[in-house]
Amino acid sequence: MPIACETRDLSVAYREDPVLRHVDFRVPEGSVMGIVGPNGAGKSTLIKAMLGLVTPLAGTAEFFGQPLDAVRNRVGYMPQSASVDWDFPTTVLDLAVMGTYGELGWLRRPGKSERARAMAALEQTGMDALASRQIGELSGGQRQRAFLARALAQSPDLYFMDEPFQGIDAKSQQAMMEVLKDLCAVGKTIVIVHHHLGSVLEFCDHVTLLNKSVVAMGPGKEVFTRDNIRKAYDANDGAETFLAAAE
Amino acid sequence: MDPFDFFGNHIFRMVFFGTTVIGVAAGALGAFAYLRRQSLISDVIGHAALPGAMLAFIAAVVVFGVDGRSMLLLVVGAVITGTLAAMFANAVSARTKIAIDTAMAISLTTFFGLGMLLLRIIANSPFPGKGGIQDYLFGNAASITRADLTTSIVVGAFALLLMIVFWKEFTLRTFDPVLSTMLGFKARVIDTLMFTTIVIAIVIGVKAVGFVLMVAFIVTPPAAARQWTNTQPGMVMLSAAFGGLGSGLGAYLSISMGNVPTGPVICLVLFAIFLVSLLASPNRSIVVTAMSRVRARKALLREFTPGGGTQ
Repeated sequence: MPIACETRDLSVAYREDPVLRHVDFRVPEGSVMGIVGPNGAGKSTLIKAMLGLVTPLAGTAEFFGQPLDAVRNRVGYMPQSASVDWDFPTTVLDLAVMGTYGELGWLRRPGKSERARAMAALEQTGMDALASRQIGELSGGQRQRAFLARALAQSPDLYFMDEPFQGIDAKSQQAMMEVLKDLCAVGKTIVIVHHHLGSVLEFCDHVTLLNKSVVAMGPGKEVFTRDNIRKAYDANDGAETFLAAAE
Repeated sequence: MDPFDFFGNHIFRMVFFGTTVIGVAAGALGAFAYLRRQSLISDVIGHAALPGAMLAFIAAVVVFGVDGRSMLLLVVGAVITGTLAAMFANAVSARTKIAIDTAMAISLTTFFGLGMLLLRIIANSPFPGKGGIQDYLFGNAASITRADLTTSIVVGAFALLLMIVFWKEFTLRTFDPVLSTMLGFKARVIDTLMFTTIVIAIVIGVKAVGFVLMVAFIVTPPAAARQWTNTQPGMVMLSAAFGGLGSGLGAYLSISMGNVPTGPVICLVLFAIFLVSLLASPNRSIVVTAMSRVRARKALLREFTPGGGTQ
């Protein structure tokens, strides 16, 4: 199966603290890859280093067999509860339109077709009714759905999502799950950092257990085993509760 | 003074149109500075532009043998030291545990102190054409010539054009720098362009308003405009309108009142616009917000106290 993205011997350090060691991460096209691991395991860092938002100490990342610069428009990123200025004078529709900026490139302005694409993305996430709202008026879950719509408007082939379900309401979670399933159905690849062990296999067909380095990686049912989870979590961070409950 | 007399006078006309152009340009460009939270760094650049202007004056007279008050040289000098001061503040806060506000305050006062020193040295030396150089501090609107007005319009229009052409890139970089980088827009290019527009907004008013008060033209109109509008084009246009209106009105008042400096009067008029905006804007008025809060508290009290909250 072709590879959507992979890293080779990727290591990252924040100042003098190593965060990731020799990571070989590989995501087959069309899969939903869950990155799972305890707090401080370097899950977000792995994504950020691949996308060039954090400078790696060593190693490389490739997307569809090419460096990121060659395929930027095919790669989308949804940061963890986006830390933007919510009082920024912009509407939900304006926000979604931003997803099309990469394809437009320098100087070209968004027009009718870009707005139509953004509107379609808002419909997909159930946010179309709020399109003309100022972004500051949205609830946490609605904000997250608006950001998902922005990623959809970009229409990449590969999505990176950093804990998209963190702290959102049930309705938003439901709406976002539907979208993820739709994306899968049309063959998109999704890399998702996930915190909640109980629901990993509900929507990830592949799993990477990470704790500074890769503990295990592969198809979900083969990898997401008691032994591997225990190894990744060093018996901390609530994994024991999860494992006990699973027995 | 009746408007007919006012606009019949060449100097008054120059003051009025000169300050209005400055107000419109600085107001529009200031909107992006406001949204990028660069209000304070604008103040640093404004103060730090003084030594640059002084050095440019000395260089012009001593090295090139030309008029020391040439607008072009002044701008070049101001841009250099203004940029250095901003870079110094950013570098200190990035590499040490000293907070950015402290770093900016140190940078601002140091560069401004150096500028004041150079100003005094020039004033005490027999340089030709040094008359009026102390006006760089607080400006002298009455000294605006037709050539200055032309320069202001051309330079201001250039900066506004940059803003309009790169609107999408400026907006994305301001709102979400991570996405901007992800989508392949070079941060350094956008930042340099945005910085250029801010510096232009600052130096454009030096002759009329001076470096010290110029920041009010950049910071106050967008803060007032944000109260009234929820869209970015709306904010930029309203900020430009407030800037132009406040400057024109301030210029008119200062001349009508007699021997009163124009820049400070404009600052006060801009503040009045800001104050009205805080109090009277439909959605963000502090009065309306406070009243609805009191009402909500009373409703809560009724709900949570058995007697219906009648105490």
